[in-house]
Amino acid sequence: MTRYIIRRIASVIGVVWLMTVMVFGIVHLLPGSVAHMILGEFATADSIALLEQRLGLNDPLPMQYWRWFSGLLRGDFGNSLTMERPAGPILIEALGRSAILAGISLVLVAIIGIALGVHSAVNRGSSSDRALTLAQYAFISIPEFFWCIVVILVFAAWLGWLPATGYTPLAEAGVLGWARHLVLPVVTLTLGLIAHVSRMTRSSMLEALDSQYVLAARAKGLAERFVLYRHALPNALLPTITVLAIDMGLLIGGIVVVETVFAFPGLGRMLIYAIDNQDLPLMMGGMIVVTSVYALANLAADILYATLNPRIRYGGSAA
Amino acid sequence: MAEAPLLELRDLSLRYATARGMVQALDGVSLELHRGQAMGLVGESGSGKSSLVLAILGLLGKGATVSTSRAAFDGEDLHKTAAALRGRRIGMVFQDPSAALNPGLTIGYQIAEPLIHHRGSSERDAMARAVSLLNEVGVARAESVARSYPHQLSGGMKQRAVIATALACEPELLLLDEPTTALDVTVEAQILDLLDDLRRHRNVAMLLVSHNLGIVDRLCDGLTVLYAGRVVEQGETAAILARPQHPYTRGLLAALPRADHGRIARLTPIPGGLPDLTRPEPGCNFRARCDFALPACAEAQLLDGPAAHRVRCHLADVVAAAPPLEDAAPAQARILPAGTRPLIQAMELTKSFRLGAALSLGFRGGLPRLTRNAGVLAVDDVALHVARGEVLGLVGESGCGKSTLGRLMLRLLAADAGRISLDGEIVPAQPDTAFRRRAQIVFQNPDSSLNPRQTVHQALRWPLVRFGIARGAEADREVDRLLELVRLPSSYRSRYPHQMSGGEKQRIGIARALASRPDFLVCDEAVSALDVSVQAAVLNLLADLRDRLGIAYLFISHDIGVIAHIADRIAVMYRGTIVEQGAAAQMLAPPYHPYTEALLSAVPLVGLKGRSAQRTRLAGDASSVPPAGGCRFAPRCPRRIGAVCDTVAPPLRMGPGGHQIMCHHTMETLAALPPALGQAA
Repeated sequence: MTRYIIRRIASVIGVVWLMTVMVFGIVHLLPGSVAHMILGEFATADSIALLEQRLGLNDPLPMQYWRWFSGLLRGDFGNSLTMERPAGPILIEALGRSAILAGISLVLVAIIGIALGVHSAVNRGSSSDRALTLAQYAFISIPEFFWCIVVILVFAAWLGWLPATGYTPLAEAGVLGWARHLVLPVVTLTLGLIAHVSRMTRSSMLEALDSQYVLAARAKGLAERFVLYRHALPNALLPTITVLAIDMGLLIGGIVVVETVFAFPGLGRMLIYAIDNQDLPLMMGGMIVVTSVYALANLAADILYATLNPRIRYGGSAA
Repeated sequence: MAEAPLLELRDLSLRYATARGMVQALDGVSLELHRGQAMGLVGESGSGKSSLVLAILGLLGKGATVSTSRAAFDGEDLHKTAAALRGRRIGMVFQDPSAALNPGLTIGYQIAEPLIHHRGSSERDAMARAVSLLNEVGVARAESVARSYPHQLSGGMKQRAVIATALACEPELLLLDEPTTALDVTVEAQILDLLDDLRRHRNVAMLLVSHNLGIVDRLCDGLTVLYAGRVVEQGETAAILARPQHPYTRGLLAALPRADHGRIARLTPIPGGLPDLTRPEPGCNFRARCDFALPACAEAQLLDGPAAHRVRCHLADVVAAAPPLEDAAPAQARILPAGTRPLIQAMELTKSFRLGAALSLGFRGGLPRLTRNAGVLAVDDVALHVARGEVLGLVGESGCGKSTLGRLMLRLLAADAGRISLDGEIVPAQPDTAFRRRAQIVFQNPDSSLNPRQTVHQALRWPLVRFGIARGAEADREVDRLLELVRLPSSYRSRYPHQMSGGEKQRIGIARALASRPDFLVCDEAVSALDVSVQAAVLNLLADLRDRLGIAYLFISHDIGVIAHIADRIAVMYRGTIVEQGAAAQMLAPPYHPYTEALLSAVPLVGLKGRSAQRTRLAGDASSVPPAGGCRFAPRCPRRIGAVCDTVAPPLRMGPGGHQIMCHHTMETLAALPPALGQAA
């Protein structure tokens, strides 16, 4: 198990490092000069030369990469070009707000998605299972920006219950004010993912319920509730964990859309801002943060998977 | 017996709804089982035997409707009490222990669970009891096994754990659904001994579901034969097997290849297939397949006769008086004159598989270190040859490398070392089309080896075109000829795999292999997935093809009865090496390799109950790690000499007629071993 975790961590480090190379490469190997891109088409040759000097753009690429990468290792993301202050704190602040959004969403997706999936599987073929199936397909197939518009129209514009945009910190607005700004983005983010997770949980739970070991547990005379939660569910959850990790990717993509629509000042909106304003250090830093979050989420899923699955926890055969 | 029966079922019927309509899965089944009695429930797939077991437990799904005129366990109504009896007074053992154990819970917990739930034991007491239960079912190092997860144990060990679970609350009745079908024959013999012992010493009643008459004969004093949901014959096992009175039972016995009967010319298959259960037949439901059928068979038949032997057939006397179906004339095994050039010959074939990555990260003395993973030798320095028109049977237990060897012979897998020659010409590692045309394979499972999207016509036509044998209208005629060869009507050409039965699909698999008119055919467990009556027909077909076309076969099977029936020569494989090889008749009697002896004595035979006393039993299973350099079989060998077996590779001893045994014992010593099949050699 220790060896397994070490291997997984090593591969996560490898993936993140590879991403730094790719992010750096994409930005610097694009045609055209970076300084030109920053200063715009009317820049004078002098100002371009000056900026190139200041950014160290005349150094060989490996040296530039090493400067940026070693900075990253020290937690230095460089200076934001448009905001004229270190990119690190900006990123961390944005990441913190997005993490609230993503964290609440992920917990809701896991709890509601698994609960609905188990309910559908146990009541297979019932009217509630059929209604859920229909809803799941609808929510999986309709993209989140559609739901953004619908919830804003209904809850913000029509009913006027909740604010459509913005964010207030917990310290300033109190729990209620803080939460009011989170409801709509979270709802929009989770709808599709709950549908996805409950769909997968339903099928893996059905598989577990049809298995011989569940029949064997019933033949042992165990109470049905116990058969479900002790025998079927832990095995059915294994594929669900993998799905949740994959859904982290969808969630990050969704956050970019949702934060833009709801004007929520998180990492997604910051990335869009950095791209719009050619703020390269901010953009590169943002991409590295997103990749690391995704890689770490998968690492967490792998470790959780191994903990729940003795075939990985104790590999090979013993006795 | 004056005592009231423990289990009493009267007129149990089971119907369930399917897309095709209501299926009458069981129709008026009655049986009685007394304490300490073992009853065998025999029938082919689709006979409803597993459904009956689930019906007793009350565990059939929602769609099933069970009706009885009486169902009682120890005098109480089973319909009301089944839920309370499960796990307490009725224990259940399933067919495949790998599937029946929860992969996420420890063995010990799974055994302890019924105690915690039914007896209110504390988890600690229950776990301690689980360890002693494991001890009772013959598991060595029970403490460490109790802490293990299912994937860490061998099949036999898992089945012992399942039996221990069923025994946890000291049940009065054990329901056993094919308890040894998923196990190797030497492990099966251990489990059967254990079950027999439990019945004798604990007075547990057993209902044993099996398709294997040998197992039932070994364990059960009572026998119920089911055919398509109806009991056709019921009574004392010995009486029924000695003189079957129902044509179906008689047919089952005649279709069974039996190691102790040696080689007979032909088995007698039961023609036809199961009746349509959506339209229950009021008369005898076997009559469409019956040799004895008369117009009167259309009338309802009753299960009639004394308790010791009841039959559902109005012609029972006629059937019982008829001579046995078996073709008594033993077939002559082909013994090829010395110096015959083999068709295909393999020398020094070796293949190893790596488990996991080539390099693994380990820690030694606190420092990380990369080590090379050694492979597992699946086939180790094997030499084989098969002549034209000869069947070489290859037996061994799961994991011994027999399937790998079959694929190596066809160059479907790349060998690490070794040479193969066909007709004296070396076959290169990447063989040409000509070799592929001449050497073909029939797989075990016809369901997964036929493309579900191809019709029979497409499946058979492709090799004809591919190998340039026929094209256009000629190819169509050739497809018809192939179908005729495997005795299927040409109307089958438009069928898809799902529109055929298992036996029919396997015939298409054979026809496809024959399409290129091969000289050499590897049959990898080609009949293992089939019911006995169908298996007999396919075995007859393969034998005919050999006689008519002179094809050479490498016939791989774990079933010694099948091998003894069809093979001219037999090779026995253990952990990658061939430990014995010789003419079929030589292999079934001493002298033989101690492993061959153990395999043969493990085979449950019909009508030889008494021989169990002199049986040789192997401890453990084939995964016991052999010492480096010595004999691979040494750790399990009942005839181990001493240290020499562990340290020195055994010599190849030669007997008359090409008989080879790889053992430290001399041929003379091995010749003095007792006959394992319980008959004079």
